[in-house]
Amino acid sequence: MSETSILELRGVAVGYDRHAVLSGLDFSITRGSFTGLLGANGSGKTTLLKTIAGIQRPLTGEIVFHPPAALGYVPQRDQLDSVFIFTAFEVALMGVCGRVGPGRRIGSAERDEVHECLRRTGSDGLAKRLFSELSGGQKQRVLIARALAAQADFLLLDEPTAGIDAAATRSIMELLTALYREQRLTILMVNHDLAAMRNTVSEVLWLHEGVLLRGPVGELLRREKIEELLKIQFT
Amino acid sequence: MELLQEIFAPELRNSVYVSLLIGFVCPLIGSFLVLRRLVFLGVALPQISSCGIAFAFALHAWHLVPHLEDSSERALAFGGSFAFTLGALVILTLLQRRYPGLSEARIGTAYALCGAWSILLLVKNPYGQHGLLERLRGEIIAISDLDLTVTAIAFAAVVLVATIFRKEFLLVSFDPEMALTLRKKVLSWDGLLFLLIGITVSMAVLTVGPLVTFGFLLIPPLVARALARNMTQFVVLGCVVGVVGAFGGFCLAYRLDVPVGPTDVALLGAVYIIIVSVRGGLRLFRPRARV
Repeated sequence: MSETSILELRGVAVGYDRHAVLSGLDFSITRGSFTGLLGANGSGKTTLLKTIAGIQRPLTGEIVFHPPAALGYVPQRDQLDSVFIFTAFEVALMGVCGRVGPGRRIGSAERDEVHECLRRTGSDGLAKRLFSELSGGQKQRVLIARALAAQADFLLLDEPTAGIDAAATRSIMELLTALYREQRLTILMVNHDLAAMRNTVSEVLWLHEGVLLRGPVGELLRREKIEELLKIQFT
Repeated sequence: MELLQEIFAPELRNSVYVSLLIGFVCPLIGSFLVLRRLVFLGVALPQISSCGIAFAFALHAWHLVPHLEDSSERALAFGGSFAFTLGALVILTLLQRRYPGLSEARIGTAYALCGAWSILLLVKNPYGQHGLLERLRGEIIAISDLDLTVTAIAFAAVVLVATIFRKEFLLVSFDPEMALTLRKKVLSWDGLLFLLIGITVSMAVLTVGPLVTFGFLLIPPLVARALARNMTQFVVLGCVVGVVGAFGGFCLAYRLDVPVGPTDVALLGAVYIIIVSVRGGLRLFRPRARV
């Protein structure tokens, strides 16, 4: 274990209904790093992220967080149901629920803090709008603000740029880069977008045919390496 | 004015009060069924609850329970109703988590089975036939002081818990995964919410029957969903529509000399159809945004 690691997986297998999608995972995430988690559809990226986030239990092995590590989870925005009539502010406010006890009202200090998180993600102007009526990029900013409101120092993002246009993708990646640099956050992000990854992350975890490959972005996302792994030829 | 004096006369006023209570509490709890897209469950639960009452009365026929006084009989009926409702909620939820694809089919099957079992339990039970039909038709016209007090206490507890823990119930309903990452015990909160749903459905079915319970659980929240612009408006509007619908239905039924329960539901249904039609019409005439 590295002294600076925030998270360590020891012999972890992840999956559903006792069926392992990935097994024998041994790796750590360095505190203050920006790591991209890559892989084909069905390779187990989201399952691994959810297991790290504590949403599901590992089938075997253990996941150890080296404190203090407060998690901020940013789910795929489409899994949030539009039947709920929440404003963007109310969605972001959920981030403070972890430290406001059951049955207790959320105070003005927490509300101010959530406004500040919305401001930091450039979404304070959206506070009064209905979450279900926002664009994909706007929703993503609000969900990142919600994760910040949880006073997270470790952000876990599940495909934050899936299904949004190029301009919004660039804007979200710039926001994440700024948060990473200015607030010294640790970020683990599942993403399909190789180009966006290459310009943003420092380290890459690549789930390839059931094996976890790990390396710095300059090494693992080299053109020759990608061609070798995907067995394709870029023209 | 004369109508008000008549329906608030001593022999009827308990029925009005219990209608208003159901009009307030069922939409409050039903709003969670709508938000969690469990509308089918809202239809099936009153039927399952009725089956529980039929089962409780069948215990007399099978000589497993002695003949009881009226208050004990009501307690037995509530026990059957509550056990069946909560049991069905737990089983259907566990199956939903494990095999999500067949959820509607399972709820439909539970509805049909419970309807059939209610009839079979009833047809072989002359004592239960008498007692059950009274209950299932909905005794809105004959509510004793004891019935009113018990219903009021149970519903007050439901409203209190639902209000105090509203933040937690909304969080685990909207984003259970996020709630888990915040170290919330999602299963426990779901369990508490289902307990509230179970108590509400059981009390309401016992008092006004499955049809009216279903109507008040779902139609007011659907009306509110069409009008509200935030979650507070959604809940408040649902309760207001439920209370106004219950009172309006009672007055209308009294004036027309028709059963109260079906009148309540028909009135709520008419309001819902009007609101949805007006909204649909307004959408048609709204200028489309330029791309």
